[in-house]
Amino acid sequence: MRGAIFKIEKDFDKEIRNFLKKTIVKKFFGAILIPCKVPANDSYAYLLIRDEALIEKASILPPVMPIQGGRVLKSFTRLGKIDAKVAVIMRPCEIRASIELSKLEQVDLTNVTLISVDCPGVIPLSDYLEDPVKGTDTFKEAFKTWESDSVRELCKVCYNFTLTGSDLHIGILGSEQGNLFLIPVSEKGRNLLDFFNINYENDISSWENIVKKKEDERKIKRKEFRENLRQEIEGIDNLLKTFSDCLNCHNCMRVCPICYCRQCFFDSDALNLPSTNYIKRAENRGSIKFPPETLLFHLGRMSHMITSCVSCGSCEDACPVSLPISRVFSFVAENVQNLFNYVPGMSVKDPVPTITYEEEELKEFENPYIETYNIQRM
Amino acid sequence: MSKTLYIDENVNDGIKKFLRCILENGKVKGVLTLINEGEKIAYSLISNPELIKYTVPLYPIMPLNAARSLSHITLSEPISEPIAVVIKPCEIRAFIELVKRSQGSVENIFFISFTCGGVYPIKMNVNGKINEKIDNFWRLIEKNEIDADLRASCKVCKEFIPYNTDMTIFLAGNKEINNQCRIFLNTDRAEDFAESTDGNIVQDKINTELIDELKVKRLEERKKLFEDKKIEKLGLEGLIDIFGRCISCHACGNACPICYCSLCYFDSQESEYKPVDYESELEKRGAIRVPPNTVTYQVGRLIHVGISCVGCGCCEDVCPSEIQLSTIFIKGSESIQEKFNYIPGKNPEELIPISTFDIKEFPEVET
Amino acid sequence: MEENFEPRLVGFMCRWCTYQAADLAGTSRMKYPSNLIPIKVLCSSRVDPLWVLIAFMRGADGVLVAGCHPGDCHYQEGNYHTRRRFVLVKNVFDSLGLESERLRLSWISASEGRKFVEVTSEFIKNIKEKGPNPAKKAIFL
Repeated sequence: MRGAIFKIEKDFDKEIRNFLKKTIVKKFFGAILIPCKVPANDSYAYLLIRDEALIEKASILPPVMPIQGGRVLKSFTRLGKIDAKVAVIMRPCEIRASIELSKLEQVDLTNVTLISVDCPGVIPLSDYLEDPVKGTDTFKEAFKTWESDSVRELCKVCYNFTLTGSDLHIGILGSEQGNLFLIPVSEKGRNLLDFFNINYENDISSWENIVKKKEDERKIKRKEFRENLRQEIEGIDNLLKTFSDCLNCHNCMRVCPICYCRQCFFDSDALNLPSTNYIKRAENRGSIKFPPETLLFHLGRMSHMITSCVSCGSCEDACPVSLPISRVFSFVAENVQNLFNYVPGMSVKDPVPTITYEEEELKEFENPYIETYNIQRM
Repeated sequence: MSKTLYIDENVNDGIKKFLRCILENGKVKGVLTLINEGEKIAYSLISNPELIKYTVPLYPIMPLNAARSLSHITLSEPISEPIAVVIKPCEIRAFIELVKRSQGSVENIFFISFTCGGVYPIKMNVNGKINEKIDNFWRLIEKNEIDADLRASCKVCKEFIPYNTDMTIFLAGNKEINNQCRIFLNTDRAEDFAESTDGNIVQDKINTELIDELKVKRLEERKKLFEDKKIEKLGLEGLIDIFGRCISCHACGNACPICYCSLCYFDSQESEYKPVDYESELEKRGAIRVPPNTVTYQVGRLIHVGISCVGCGCCEDVCPSEIQLSTIFIKGSESIQEKFNYIPGKNPEELIPISTFDIKEFPEVET
Repeated sequence: MEENFEPRLVGFMCRWCTYQAADLAGTSRMKYPSNLIPIKVLCSSRVDPLWVLIAFMRGADGVLVAGCHPGDCHYQEGNYHTRRRFVLVKNVFDSLGLESERLRLSWISASEGRKFVEVTSEFIKNIKEKGPNPAKKAIFL
């Protein structure tokens, strides 16, 4: 792989901000979509910026991810594209969610140049809000070590923290050495660098090596995480116990970038059954939780979106009773996605497994009855 | 003077005894109340009288406003069998407001509530943490004090005496909760149910001294909170500061019992920005937050539900960004409700002010 | 206060009364400033309180809701509801410290072309003195 190398003084954030300002001034991009600090300085929100002076407030890699970038891009492009090229700077999981949404016709990437950044993880929102100043420091530590215990649970075991299906990737791993790497992935990325006469034919193996080492470490961690989690949640009793604090508030669904249905099936009339249903169920079992269908909601939502789950962890951040939702969903997502050899968000060209098929496939799931019970055919 | 049922147990065991009785003798087919299952507390519809011993009807926890779930099951038709529900006063008021909007029916529901000492934020229900707090909570009830760890909305609640119940358990304002279970019988049905159990029914007076004292304390907290937060001085800048960390998840609307629209305006396509909207906003302002409509959603929701807001505080509890929503909504809705002289959920026959009018009123509003 | 600030106002006008009054003002060649954008509605009660809020948040310096005099509504009761809704919106604005002076309700019948001109001119003058709506330039809205 080849890329561009920027020499940086100190702050990669500043370097990228200056570059983005240039792209506006030189009219390459008509607008930038990037997280910025909010007026009260206690969180970050995505701004669509045309006035390059406002880019000063932006942050390439904020310590928190209050809104998943996929949701932001969906709001921005679902009803069409604006008449200008837009640069969008997001974390890899947000890029992957956006690409998935593009396949689901919720995001229009035509005029969008996706720029991703190496990501050490994000601080859980409630931890950050308790003390934003401390949260920022914690994130700085996480950025130094890439081994932090203070990031989201899923971030700790994520190995998709780098190059993904974006147009341009900013490699910041190892940036303490004074180097920043810009790696064009698609034609859009190359066009951008060409416009500014940036040479992207350099050897970037110093970055690649650090990344590979980190990916391998994380893959080991993930294996351990999967094994521990499997024991914790396997079986109906464990599942019920895991979700017993659930309030049915549906926050997890609301913040999930992939869950784009205007009215979720589980909020619809389909589950507003007449009261006789609940009374009968209460009679049969002695009692039912009220409102019922907790596990139905989670497993049902899983069956609807799991092929595209990008393991971002927004669901767990939003849960008011701290259920391990993102861990359960990520665990199942990996199982299901492996079944179809599918990695969500790597390329718009990979169709979502449930919208496509091969005529001959998955034979092992057919006719289990005959083989399992060794039925003699007549 | 009213009829009161005395059960010779402490208040918690007494109500459980009563609930078990009316299930066993068939007065009701089910009981909806809080149940403690292995340190997890949730609302349950209970049919088996044996399970009543695990219930904790008076625990200071409100997973989600029960009015919401009651509305869902009585939306198309009233409940098919008589059930008893033990819920907080604000949940009953919210349900009455929903019934006024044709979103439910009170038929066949036996309403039991209590003079409410408030609930803890839902985070207290995680991993059974509430069990560490609960003894202190009963002690504070006996001392008629307000626990500082309660929901902000509960600390300032002045409608903690329920309306429209069949029975009201004397909890907050009762020094003797450890020695007696005292239940006020407000309807004929309540008397009938009470007679079917063992317990003493007497005609007696209620000493409201402690209740009045508690109301004064709550009103003081309310005044302090509003003076502290100065909602009416917020203005656009203040609102932008507070809602800077809003993530537009609309969980508050989803948790609110009054927000019953199956598709909120702010979730619908109508409120989505088209490319031309983004372009014009970019042109005007130089930058625009995405997704947009953050503050607009909050003020819009206040405009839509303010008239019926019961101050339960569920919105603040589910907010992932821990925004002090209930303070803003309680202040805003108090202002609207005072203007129309309306207490939501108090009188089921009273029309919601925004659905009716007087021929001559508010002459000052026209300019 | 900006010099040369030209307010942009939005006016929701009922088609049976106020819109006709506006037409009458036009045909009678009455002069008045052109800062008000008219939006015709069938009845003032068609105006969802949200529209007033959204107009304000999208940057309108003032919002006018106008219809028939109470008792004269073409649909009998519409404007009674309008009145209550307007009271509600104004109340919400006041309790949050938003500038409720930027919202106005007026009863203008079809023959009151002169009143339409007066109400509109006065409103525009007031808003000019007040200055632009802060929501116009807000970014984190």
